[in-house]
Amino acid sequence: MIGTPIDVLPYIRGVQLILEGYHGYTKDKRIENDALVRGEIVRAAGRVRSHMQNIFDSEFKRDNMEHARAAKRCMEECDLLSEDVEKAPGGMEHAFLSGQRSPSMKDLKKLIKHDHDVIEMVTKATNIANSAEHSVAVEDENTQQFIMQATQKISSCRGFFGARANILKGLKTKKK
Amino acid sequence: MANYRWRDSPDVVARLVNADKIQTFRTQEVLLKPNEACAFIVDGRIGDILTETKIASLAGGFSRWVGDQLGMTADDRRLLFAMTGPMDYWVPFEGGLQNGEMAKGYANLRMKLNTDDVPKLLNWFANNSPILTRDGVISILKDELHGRVITPSLASCASGADLRGADFLERFEMTAEMEMRNLLSNLGFTLLKAFPITNPTDMELVERHRAKIEAQMEGNAINLEAQKAEFANKEALTLQRIEMETNVARAHARGQVTVKLEHELKALRAQEATWAAELERDRGKVVLAQEDRKHASDVRIDEADAKSARAMDMFKQVQDRKAERISNQQEFQNQRMDSQNGVQVKMMEMAKDAGALTPEVMAEFLRQQTQQKAVDSDNPAPQGSNCNCGTALQPGWKACPNCGSAIG
Repeated sequence: MIGTPIDVLPYIRGVQLILEGYHGYTKDKRIENDALVRGEIVRAAGRVRSHMQNIFDSEFKRDNMEHARAAKRCMEECDLLSEDVEKAPGGMEHAFLSGQRSPSMKDLKKLIKHDHDVIEMVTKATNIANSAEHSVAVEDENTQQFIMQATQKISSCRGFFGARANILKGLKTKKK
Repeated sequence: MANYRWRDSPDVVARLVNADKIQTFRTQEVLLKPNEACAFIVDGRIGDILTETKIASLAGGFSRWVGDQLGMTADDRRLLFAMTGPMDYWVPFEGGLQNGEMAKGYANLRMKLNTDDVPKLLNWFANNSPILTRDGVISILKDELHGRVITPSLASCASGADLRGADFLERFEMTAEMEMRNLLSNLGFTLLKAFPITNPTDMELVERHRAKIEAQMEGNAINLEAQKAEFANKEALTLQRIEMETNVARAHARGQVTVKLEHELKALRAQEATWAAELERDRGKVVLAQEDRKHASDVRIDEADAKSARAMDMFKQVQDRKAERISNQQEFQNQRMDSQNGVQVKMMEMAKDAGALTPEVMAEFLRQQTQQKAVDSDNPAPQGSNCNCGTALQPGWKACPNCGSAIG
């Protein structure tokens, strides 16, 4: 039986601060952990979208099309991220007779670190989106910059999350 | 176990199922795919929302019946199934533009239900049938979409051409995003994309017809031009063929004429050669006659020349002999003069020796000598002169032997 790697414990603790019930893919809880991580990413993307939605409404009513357009683009990026995450591969529950091999310690390390990094990134995007909305509220000149940064973060998050599929893809063939 | 199918048509978006009404002997289970979600409403409370899983013991079966009979299960169990993937909804519309044209078409709304928002559909199921289809969604959205989005958007277009612009599409989407949020949020939908597809307006149809007719006319004109060009080609080809045939015929006739002329020319040249030969022959005869005459003349001239030359020779001989005679005579005279001079010199020397050389003697001597000289040179020919005809004159000549003029 493969236990939780010790050197990734800081990452697990970090994720546990956000996700209660996350155990770093311990045996029999891998599907649940995967669902938890994905749910958290979707939820964070939803928060970014909500901020951008508010910005969009406000700026569109003011006829500030530049900001409204940027916010709309960020909302679309959030939708795409949610769709990517919701329809991402989750791996198989039973490796035995399934054509997959059991995940090794190295695989688990990769997954845990990846989860931590993705959640951290999407959390940053949420913070930036929050700053953007605040910027709109106080009417400073950084709104466009914040919106673009949030869009960029979400885009990076999409790309980074795609790397997860590569990790899981490595489990599909048994090593001989 | 039997699989329960909650969706039997692609148009079904959501369905509210009362699990208590599924009473079968076999236990029912349902498999939820990644784009499907199921919310449990148990005893009026919203429970878990599941997706990507298999729900076993959904309903039916002996154990559940026994539990119901013993009152060990919930009193009310409802399952709300819904599609969570993006779905397209086509809402038909018709509206007027600024210039009075009527625009018809469809507004496409691409929407999805978030998993967490599935229970919001209960707002709709509370007053409607338990199956929500695409048409149901469209009927919900239609009026508000017309009033808040389509009509204002169309009213901002001056003509049908504005409907095709990117600005109109963008503004339509943004308006839909903002104005439809309240309704969609109440139902749990999230708007992903919105865009209108308008049919051609009447004016656009007229323009299209006009463009079609113009294109047809231009096509006909092009065909006509092509046909004219083809005819011109044919004409040029025919003319060229005729010209070629004419040239061939002309060349043929010219060849025949040339052959005939060459034949005649050969005959003429033969005749010419004959005539030339005859002429040459006659000319030869004339030349021969002339040569004969010339020869005879030359002979006569030669004879005359010979006679003249002989006469000249003879005359020359006479002259030579005369010159010799005169020369001899002159030499004789000179010798005599010399001897006389010698005598005179001796006499003078003797006179000198005798002392008799006086001026009278000298004068007498000179006088006698002068007389002597005069005798010696009686009628002498001038020495070394030439005649008017250029002949050199010898001393003693009375007349020029060449021209016969007297020497004076």
